[in-house]
Amino acid sequence: MAPKKSSVRQAAVIGGNRIPFARANGRYARASNLDMLTATLDGLVARYGLAGERLGEVVAGAVLKHSRDFNLTREAVLGSRLAASTPAYDVQQACGTGLEAAIAVSNKIKLGQIDSGVAGGVDTASDAPIAVNEDLRRILVALGAARSAGARLKLLGKLRPGQIVPEIPQNSEPRTGLSMGEHAAITAKEWGVSREAQDELAAASHQHLAAAYDRGFFDDLVTPYLGLTRDDNVRPDSSVEKLARLTPVFGKGEGATMTAGNSTPLTDGSALVLLGSDEWAAEHRLPVLAHFVDAETAAVDYVHGGGADDRYGRDGLLTAPVHAVPRLLARNGLTLQDFDFYEIHEAFASTVLATLKAWEDPAFSKERLGLDTPLGPIDRAKLNVNGSSLAAGHPFAATGGRIVASLATQLHEKGSGRGLISICAAGGQGVVAILEAAE
Amino acid sequence: MALGALYAKAAVGAVLPGRGKTLPDGEIVREGVAVDLGHLADYARVCGFGLGDILPPTYPHVLAFGLQLELMAARAFPLPLPGLVHVANAITTHRAVRVGEALDLRVRAERFAAHPKGAQVDLVAAVSVAGEPVWDGRSTYLARGASAPTGLAGTLPDLSDVDGPAAAVWRVPKDTGRRYAAVSGDVNPIHLNPLAAKAFGFPRAIAHGMWTAARAFAALQGRVPDAARYEVLFRRPLLLPSTVELVTAHPGASWTLTVRAGAGTTHLTATVT
Repeated sequence: MAPKKSSVRQAAVIGGNRIPFARANGRYARASNLDMLTATLDGLVARYGLAGERLGEVVAGAVLKHSRDFNLTREAVLGSRLAASTPAYDVQQACGTGLEAAIAVSNKIKLGQIDSGVAGGVDTASDAPIAVNEDLRRILVALGAARSAGARLKLLGKLRPGQIVPEIPQNSEPRTGLSMGEHAAITAKEWGVSREAQDELAAASHQHLAAAYDRGFFDDLVTPYLGLTRDDNVRPDSSVEKLARLTPVFGKGEGATMTAGNSTPLTDGSALVLLGSDEWAAEHRLPVLAHFVDAETAAVDYVHGGGADDRYGRDGLLTAPVHAVPRLLARNGLTLQDFDFYEIHEAFASTVLATLKAWEDPAFSKERLGLDTPLGPIDRAKLNVNGSSLAAGHPFAATGGRIVASLATQLHEKGSGRGLISICAAGGQGVVAILEAAE
Repeated sequence: MALGALYAKAAVGAVLPGRGKTLPDGEIVREGVAVDLGHLADYARVCGFGLGDILPPTYPHVLAFGLQLELMAARAFPLPLPGLVHVANAITTHRAVRVGEALDLRVRAERFAAHPKGAQVDLVAAVSVAGEPVWDGRSTYLARGASAPTGLAGTLPDLSDVDGPAAAVWRVPKDTGRRYAAVSGDVNPIHLNPLAAKAFGFPRAIAHGMWTAARAFAALQGRVPDAARYEVLFRRPLLLPSTVELVTAHPGASWTLTVRAGAGTTHLTATVT
């Protein structure tokens, strides 16, 4: 039932499914991205009775991906119980992947191009795409192209024992050589984010996630996988006192504040959300949890922007949401205080706190965000109420799907209200979105 | 006992006198078997299954295989293990069997009877969880030239080949037998080594029938309900290495599968109902 051309309808979040997130090299060490994504898709199909259905589209991705997984999402569909006639494609926007996929699907639903779709992502830090040594790869490529025995012999003469050392994926920015944690440590220092505040946020994340599991919040959101029924990173007994004992791992010397406890661990996992038009949901007798209202992406020049002479230094690698949110609010005529829930992805505790500080800083807001008045503070009781990445873990591309499904469920529980999602991503990017409870 | 050692014992036993004339009574039981995730992952990769919470329908067969072998290698077993040919296999999944369930395995032999070409016997495995039957398997073996009481041999399923274009082309590498042996415990030398295969009349090492069957069923990932019946007839040995074709047909709710080497050479025919 396609609407008239140029009309825009609402995109509904109908539900979600994820597998418990597992610390890297643990429970899911032997599972591939395809295994996890297929299992998550089948869990979603089972949960919403979609076996044999042709959906409009499945859109997902992975950040760490083998070259053989070029069509990862389509392969997952073909191995799932969805109709094989369901199209699929991969997206990749680092940690923004899952949310960007949800934006893509909801936009097509709004335009009437599709009536239903699935969005999300998967990542494994265990089954990493280790590649052959770059020097060796160049020789092998040239060998394949060589036309004479002489040319091949010459190339073989370039082989060296050291070339057996493989290429291992790096958790560092290609242009800066700094890891994400080192980047975040610079931002934490610039914004004066204290160790105590970070540990407090981390402890709250664990406590909130554990409490959400205990009250059954995830019963409709998580399907056990390979013997795991809960995220295995969560520590219900986490406390500021315990976290305070950890030694900083990012940043150097005296002022270092970032520890393994207030940074997300490497994690394996997968998460998907089911989106559709209100009509499609009604036809399938499925509840609408929330509507996907709007979204915005932003990027910052974390390499050369600002500079040593700038009052605020360079933009931080993970600070793009600071810029995305005011633009999103302006377009929707909202203030930062007009929300009942805030889901700010906890790449690092310091990232969340620096983001909040930036929105409260009048001079920064004026100079960098072009705002006469800063966005102001938020009610911290509304922040990541069911825990976030510090506790659950952060399989990069899976985080967006986890957050959209959780926030929609939370809004549905409340029965009204609005939620803001903010996700920072590698490459100095940010993806943010607004969900509203369905009436 | 390691499965390799069981094979060695059976090989020695084959030439010694004192073999039984009838099937040994009773069954071999293993209770509370837990699936090892690493083993399941290895098996899934060798056979082309994804790694999920639901066991591949052919996986309990490898869990029970060691017990089958124990039964067949016993001195009292009436047929010599070396030279037994797996001619047919039937599997019934009563429901999805999940990782983490404690599996009770029972294996016994039955239908030992004369066959125009020798003697035939069925090895029957049953898997239950807390008393609930979840999986049944029946493996039919033929011992060429062997004799048996004139009882009734089990009838083999009457399966016909599917014609038509290939759904998939498999390039089956030389080491497939060694890889499947490592995950199944079926270290019959005809799968491992061309010389050993020659001794049994094969020009090269041959793939395990259950590998070929598993690979074919793996191609139906996502298309078959949790409760289903898988029947396989092993036709001609698949020599390693080979390039073969999988042909599938989907009449109604059932599936018919053929693995062929092109022109009229069928390795395996199967149905899923």
